Amino acid sequence: MGADASDLSLVRRVQRGDKGAFDALVLKYQHKLVKLVMRYVRNPAEAEDIAQEAFIKAYRALPQFRGDSAFYTWLYRIAINTAKNAVVSRDRSPIEYELDRGNEESYDMQSRMKDAETPEGLVLTDEIRSTVNAAIDALPEDLRTAIVLRELEGLSYEEIAAAMSCPVGTVRSRIFRAREAIDRRLREVFEGGLGRAEEIG
Amino acid sequence: MNEELDSQLSAMFDDELAPEECELLARRLSRDEQLKSRWGRYAVIGAAIRSERGVSLNPPLAGRVSAVILAEPALSGSATAHGARRGGMRWWQPVAGAAMAAGVAAVSILWLRTQGPLSGATLSAQLTPPTAVPTGVEASAPGAPASYVVPRSPAVRAVLVPSTTLANYVVAHSMVSSPVARRNLLSSLMTSESTNVASEAIRAAEDPHDVQSNLP
Repeated sequence: MGADASDLSLVRRVQRGDKGAFDALVLKYQHKLVKLVMRYVRNPAEAEDIAQEAFIKAYRALPQFRGDSAFYTWLYRIAINTAKNAVVSRDRSPIEYELDRGNEESYDMQSRMKDAETPEGLVLTDEIRSTVNAAIDALPEDLRTAIVLRELEGLSYEEIAAAMSCPVGTVRSRIFRAREAIDRRLREVFEGGLGRAEEIG
Repeated sequence: MNEELDSQLSAMFDDELAPEECELLARRLSRDEQLKSRWGRYAVIGAAIRSERGVSLNPPLAGRVSAVILAEPALSGSATAHGARRGGMRWWQPVAGAAMAAGVAAVSILWLRTQGPLSGATLSAQLTPPTAVPTGVEASAPGAPASYVVPRSPAVRAVLVPSTTLANYVVAHSMVSSPVARRNLLSSLMTSESTNVASEAIRAAEDPHDVQSNLP
């Protein structure tokens, strides 16, 4: 299959003015990007802000993206540069430092409000993780192996097919069925809180 | 939601869908909110399996980015502007074009001038004085009203093509050159060839039979 074809088809749509296609790219890469930025900043809220800035920079620079590299590689570079600049500018910003020091109480409040890792947030994250893990444990072994090899090891369908001694089409079907089973379980547990993505766009 | 579509979505998420199918599904994905929601949950499942921190079913990041993007102009206009910028001429392009055209014209003229007998004959075809012509006409058609006819001889006709070519080059050169350069080019042509032109004209006037014998 064409490497990066899915991202490229979305990118081309955005380049033609379809903003909805960019939502799909954000939904796909937001977790990866926040995780990447967390290498540079320890505060999750700050990491989210930087990731947001990186996505917006990428959107604005998309007319210049020609597809010479994979979209994520390009986005990755933008995020790294944005994170580095943010760190440098924060370290060299005495005014901000003074303000922070002068309004410690307000800063703490803001920080807590923005922090994705609030106790509630952490509980939710743990709940999601445990729900997903429980759903994976409940899967038939062939489906479990396929989804773990894909998501945890990052293997391609062809590599998974070779590892599991089955056709590529079977791998595709197994991964899809595994995702559907996990998704069904997630929706059962978190019904009502899953529609937010539908508001996007 | 049909199963085949969801299966394609799962494969597209993994970059394992054929490009042509991706095109169709990307179009649908950008418009279908249910499909987009499912796509977002596939990302959550992957992040949860990898035990990534801060995994949320409704991460605020996507919503915030989407809100900012909504306020931005659509990219199609930018892409068009980018294309127009690429297609437009930069300041140096007319100058370079003019220099190139002038160079081609100069080389062509030099080449034509080195072609020996052709050069003199070429100009004689254009500049043969009319005094020589009526003689030929009267000889061929006595009693006919005097008219201004350019005598046609094979020798002269043969050199008309290079003459036209030369004229074309001069015209092409004049379209991009300055008036001074154009005048210089024409005057140098005229002065360098005037001797040949004059001798050709005199010969034609003195020997009408020669002209007549060359008529078809």
